[in-house]
Amino acid sequence: MGYAIETRDLTRRFGEVIAVAGLNLSVQAGEIFGFLGPNGAGKTTTIRMLCGLLLPSGGTATVAGLDVSREAEAIKRCVGYMPQRFSLYGDLTVEENLDFFAGVYRLPRAERKRRVGETLQRVGLVERRKVLTDHLSGGLKQRLALGCALVHSPALLFLDEPTAGADPPSRQRIWDLLYEVAAEGKTILVTTHYVEEAERCQSIGFMHHGRLIGAGSPEQCRADLAEVILEVDAQPVMQAAAVARAQEGVTGVSIYGHTLRVFAKEATPLCDRLREELVAQGLGVKGLRTVAPTLEDVFMSLTRGIPGNNGEA
Amino acid sequence: MLATIGHVTKKEIRQILRDRRSLVLILVMPILLTFLFGKALETGDLRQIPSVILNQDESPESNVIATAFSTFDEVRIQAEVPTLQEAQDLLAQGKIKAAIIIPKGFMKKVEAGEEAELNLLLDGTDNNSAPIVEGVAKRVIQRYNAERAIKGLWARGVRPDRGRLLIQPVFVQTEIKYNPGLQYLSYVMPGVIGLTLQLLTVMLMAITIPRERERGTLDQLMATPISRTELIMGKLLPYFGISLLNVITILFVADRWFNIPVDENLPLLLLLCALFVLSSLATGLLISTVSRSQFQAVQIAVFYVLPVFMLSGAYAPLEAIPDYIRPISYLFPLMYFSRAVRAVTLRGADFLLVWKDVAVLGGFVVVFLYWAVLSFHKRVA
Repeated sequence: MGYAIETRDLTRRFGEVIAVAGLNLSVQAGEIFGFLGPNGAGKTTTIRMLCGLLLPSGGTATVAGLDVSREAEAIKRCVGYMPQRFSLYGDLTVEENLDFFAGVYRLPRAERKRRVGETLQRVGLVERRKVLTDHLSGGLKQRLALGCALVHSPALLFLDEPTAGADPPSRQRIWDLLYEVAAEGKTILVTTHYVEEAERCQSIGFMHHGRLIGAGSPEQCRADLAEVILEVDAQPVMQAAAVARAQEGVTGVSIYGHTLRVFAKEATPLCDRLREELVAQGLGVKGLRTVAPTLEDVFMSLTRGIPGNNGEA
Repeated sequence: MLATIGHVTKKEIRQILRDRRSLVLILVMPILLTFLFGKALETGDLRQIPSVILNQDESPESNVIATAFSTFDEVRIQAEVPTLQEAQDLLAQGKIKAAIIIPKGFMKKVEAGEEAELNLLLDGTDNNSAPIVEGVAKRVIQRYNAERAIKGLWARGVRPDRGRLLIQPVFVQTEIKYNPGLQYLSYVMPGVIGLTLQLLTVMLMAITIPRERERGTLDQLMATPISRTELIMGKLLPYFGISLLNVITILFVADRWFNIPVDENLPLLLLLCALFVLSSLATGLLISTVSRSQFQAVQIAVFYVLPVFMLSGAYAPLEAIPDYIRPISYLFPLMYFSRAVRAVTLRGADFLLVWKDVAVLGGFVVVFLYWAVLSFHKRVA
């Protein structure tokens, strides 16, 4: 299959600020692509350009083979967009919102009725279709927003943090829906802060400071990690972290409860050296082993590699 | 195109109907405003200015003067007061607007051929009545002088009819057409109707797009293939409907309580109102498309609506506005509207007499709507 989304040196400036800096991104048709990155990394700006809401300052991008600069209105017809902020009419009912968007997407009357009914069913809001949208809980609002983005059966779906602030059951429900939609052959680009959600995607891309700093399947990303991770169980944990940071070859240390995760270029000389040093400092070492990296580790490692930043954006 | 406009209109109507409190306000406010503005301006009717006479001379000649005043409609002589103090008190209390004082020795001076005086005490806070009383006094004196001269000539053998030919000054005989009572209210009421219609329509329309922007719904809407024209027309239609309802209630109020002959040419009047309302809605939409927030939209709307009333000849004749400001007046639809409505209600004008104003109003509608569509961008550059 070809690429559903392809960008080349895609750039967007807001005055002096460069929100997206020469982004090169390829998303396969029919896959769920997870877009990761800290706040301000440029994920939302990228999505808004891809949906035809924002004009790029430079570079090119195609969505479903259409150029975002020149064919924005055609793109809008085959794309569904769920913004980060809840953006439906609170003073309309659930059904009226769906019906309105189905109408604005130019579905013919009969098809509109059918699609609204199907979508209500799909997002599980049939019994609440007469409820004013303002009166829905956060999780239900997110489901309705997803429904409104889906009501016209778009080939591509752009979801900007669709599960932000949702409780685990609601998140589960939304992800089940996304798999269902993906199974129909639709392409989904979803941004998230949750690393465990990224694990559910077929491909992921890490964005930082307006650039893509890593991409691939979750397994690939973990395998490609150029660092090793040591899990160290030593008490007291704060002192142990200080000792670890002082070692040569250690690139980063994070504390997780009672254990440390130590990032290093290589494991072999460091492992023994670290254990000796910890013992020499009088710290009890209960465990010290190399572990498989998580996506969060990958992300931390990737962002650390970029000069002049500390993981914040 | 039409179907999408229909979807937007349906959505807007649902939202309007759901906001009951605003709906009541939208429907009641114009009636209330027309009524209040009309009543407030009714006092501007410049007749029967309450006045008193202080006749200090108490002579046959001074009595002639005193009675002469009561033949004028413009003033109403409430009483003859005995002292200057009393006249001053009444004036200070605001019970009268003018005191006409014939000083002691008036007749003596007149008979001796000296310059005699008539004094006026006027309430300068009412700058409408003061010049009117002054004008009446001048005419009284003019007539009195003429009569005396004629009598003097007769004493020298000139028959009064011949003397009158010699002396009679030119009197301006005025026949006032089209607003015989010179009622200010009849003049200003079309402006009041226009102002009320405009206030509501501009405000309502101005906040619609910023409201969607603030609620975030514009973002979702912009991601759909809706066109700018569809969105703008879809928003215009329901408010046009509401405004037409308002036109009917306002015309009813004007007809019922302010003697504006609405039935003179109702179809023409309705056409003028409909075009004017559309031009105001389009103005509001234009404000709406350039405003970033509802607050900003209201600000711009206020800065538009207020000067319009003063500059559009709705409140005072256009001729009262200095030459170098007057070109601005021609930029406001309200000017053409109030001029045409005045022509219809005061002069019974028909379509042929006001077609130019109708055409200009139609032009405003087209230009403003087109402008609003152009200034609305679906995409941020």
